[in-house]
Amino acid sequence: MQKIKIKKGHDINISGLASRDFSSASNPKFVSISPLDFNYIKPKMLVKENDSVSMGDALFFDKNNPEVKWPSIASGTISKIVYGERRAVQEIIIEVDSESEKNNDSFGELNLSSRTDIKKFISKCNMWPFITQRPFNKVVNPDDEPKCIVVSLADSSPLACDLSFSLNDKKDDIVSALSVLKKLTDGPLYVAVRGSNFAFLSDYDFVNLVQVEGPHPSGNVGVILNKVNPINQNEVIWTVQGAHLPILGKLFSKGEYDFSLNINVAGPAVNPSYYKSRMGIQFNCFKSSLKQDEVRIISGNVLTGKKIEIDRFLGFYHSTFSVIEESYERPFIGWLHPGGKTRYSVFNAYFGSNKNSYDFTTLQNGSNRAFVPVDAWEKVFPMDIYINSLARSIEANDVDEMEQLGIYECDEEDVALCSFVCPSKSNVGSIIRKGLDTIYFDK
Amino acid sequence: MNFLRKIFAESGKLVEKGKPLSWAYPVWEAADTIFFSTNKQTSSGPHIRDNMDIKRTMFFVVLALIPCYIFGAYNIGYLNSLALDIERSLLANTIFGLTYVLPILIVTFVAGAICELTFAIIRKHEVNEGFLVSCALIPLTMPPDVPLWQVFMGTSFGIIIGKEIFGGVGTNVFNPALTARAFMYFAFPTKISGDKVWAVGPDGYSGATALAIPANPVEYDTASNLFAASTQFDFSLLNMFWGLIPGSIGETNKVLIIGGALFLIYCGIASWRIIMSSVIGLVLTAFLFNLLAGFSSNAMLTITPLQHLLIGSFLFGTVFMATEPVTSSHTNTGRWIYGFLIGVLTVIIRSINPAYPEGVMLAILIMNMFAPLIDYYVIQSNIKMRLARNA
Repeated sequence: MQKIKIKKGHDINISGLASRDFSSASNPKFVSISPLDFNYIKPKMLVKENDSVSMGDALFFDKNNPEVKWPSIASGTISKIVYGERRAVQEIIIEVDSESEKNNDSFGELNLSSRTDIKKFISKCNMWPFITQRPFNKVVNPDDEPKCIVVSLADSSPLACDLSFSLNDKKDDIVSALSVLKKLTDGPLYVAVRGSNFAFLSDYDFVNLVQVEGPHPSGNVGVILNKVNPINQNEVIWTVQGAHLPILGKLFSKGEYDFSLNINVAGPAVNPSYYKSRMGIQFNCFKSSLKQDEVRIISGNVLTGKKIEIDRFLGFYHSTFSVIEESYERPFIGWLHPGGKTRYSVFNAYFGSNKNSYDFTTLQNGSNRAFVPVDAWEKVFPMDIYINSLARSIEANDVDEMEQLGIYECDEEDVALCSFVCPSKSNVGSIIRKGLDTIYFDK
Repeated sequence: MNFLRKIFAESGKLVEKGKPLSWAYPVWEAADTIFFSTNKQTSSGPHIRDNMDIKRTMFFVVLALIPCYIFGAYNIGYLNSLALDIERSLLANTIFGLTYVLPILIVTFVAGAICELTFAIIRKHEVNEGFLVSCALIPLTMPPDVPLWQVFMGTSFGIIIGKEIFGGVGTNVFNPALTARAFMYFAFPTKISGDKVWAVGPDGYSGATALAIPANPVEYDTASNLFAASTQFDFSLLNMFWGLIPGSIGETNKVLIIGGALFLIYCGIASWRIIMSSVIGLVLTAFLFNLLAGFSSNAMLTITPLQHLLIGSFLFGTVFMATEPVTSSHTNTGRWIYGFLIGVLTVIIRSINPAYPEGVMLAILIMNMFAPLIDYYVIQSNIKMRLARNA
């Protein structure tokens, strides 16, 4: 077992952490899948409105890479396809037919001994979107040979699902998923865990267990890779969401689709809890847990998630709904405020400021200003990358320098904390994304 | 409160996009957010943000400077009472000093605000609160009876040439406050670099700083002996530590400067690496020069490391000027080198060329210039590490 200890970072103590208990919620009538959750794809529809689909049927494919198709995550009817500007598909909403889901066919006996067989099987059941790659954080190209595969079961982001709880009863599926994933690479399969969680994985020699310690972003795939096996230019690594392992595991071992997912709804503006739910669920199902009206609902965590309306759906790679207050408050001479429990800062500039369970709102807490390098980003960015210089090279559109400074190792989520602490209120994540986009479209 | 809110809400409508007064938006935004914190919301991830912002960052630096202002005012009054040989209460001394400090302060802020706001409007960038720090620093580096028109000229030069022509805060190469000081140092030498200007007294009164004593000795002796022989002011280590000596308004009291440094380091605003390494650089170089002093008739070489720390504005410069985040090195390794060389250069300029007894100003400006170069080499080593891994 490998151990890595992260010192730089910060665990944001936001209130509304869900206790380790499942609540029940109403059964979803609709689920959705949105092509906007996937970077750099050009979706081409394979179904029309009112078509009936069963679980796993291909809904659309990527014009850039026709082998990659997206599975229907429910059986039922395509109730609506939402188009945006220039008829870009934004969302496919499926009306769930729970009766037909019960009679879903299984693939029967599977032969997943060789890499070719596995790849064929994944293509056949349209499951490539579950495997993403770094750099660029996009769905993999099935023809690539990844240097290694990483799975993080140690998500450290604020209010994240505690996988050691939510995947507690799925040990067998996790192991079968990992045993198949390992065959997709000649390199190691790293699985990151925290403390003694998932200790049973140490019995399997195809798993390179990595024990991570320290504050967020220590559980991020990018950070773990940076410490154990950094990505170099022209290398590709694959990764799978920890929460998706049971879905893959059940498919690989029993040949059955099962898109159920244990999720949590958390945050200061909601009664937090875990739910036994499914992928792409509508937030409406949890409406009764809201504490107030003026809220922002976020699919994903508060750092990298996506703002959604109350009748929208959980993102493909997300297993958390975060809910925070939408605040319009304008305190009088707020910058002079002495501190106390109504303030939260990683700087020691608010005396007696809140260090535990703070009710964050959507306020930016300051105006946008020119960037002043007060060493804030560096304190919460644990990779051996000069993030400030990297951001500058991206703004200067200097591709060579971006590559030299290690842009391939970074993703938006790894720098989210830098934006959180930045006194100039920069958005470092969008800068990194801009750099990655420049390189991606250059090539 | 509601009345104020209304004023801003109404005036805000005048500077909206498309309205004739829209050019004044940056000025309106700056004023509005001084009174009421912005209610700007996050639009995408991260949806939550830390409570620290640039306004507070800059305000904290100003806060750390306020004690220096108060003591500076008192010291002007105290030295004046010494020169006139009269007794005055602590309060009377402070008020006497304030009559010198406040006009300088006001002129600096007026000049600074005019430059900053004009450029914010012309260049359409937001008003950055950083100019408040520059303006708060400039008076502290001045002698008490500096002519106000010179202060106006110097501040304008510092803000425009030191900052705005490079694109404003965040892209400037030189510390604007030091640029202003350097401009005045060379443009109006009799009023700022002469040795008669550092205390307010009757006409012809000479208020020389501690640095001027070993720089122009009547007869060669060690610095310690020269200080001890000085009858006009008490240049003992303790007195220099407490700051009851002539000098720029804010530089003399080392207790307040060290307090300010600890405060800014605690808040995470100033870089302790720069302060620490510049002190190390100064002490080592001074020690080396002490060893060489026997081979020279330059009394400056005999100043001990501790005396170097206490005399002149080295501490003030390194705590409040060298740590300015934009113009110092941006990498932590770079900050060690940058600070260390400031310490080294300060002693070299002070000792080798007694024409410029105060070396720290030039040392910091020189290192401002080299900071990007230092960073370049630090970053190159990171790039080489990555290339080696790739090979």
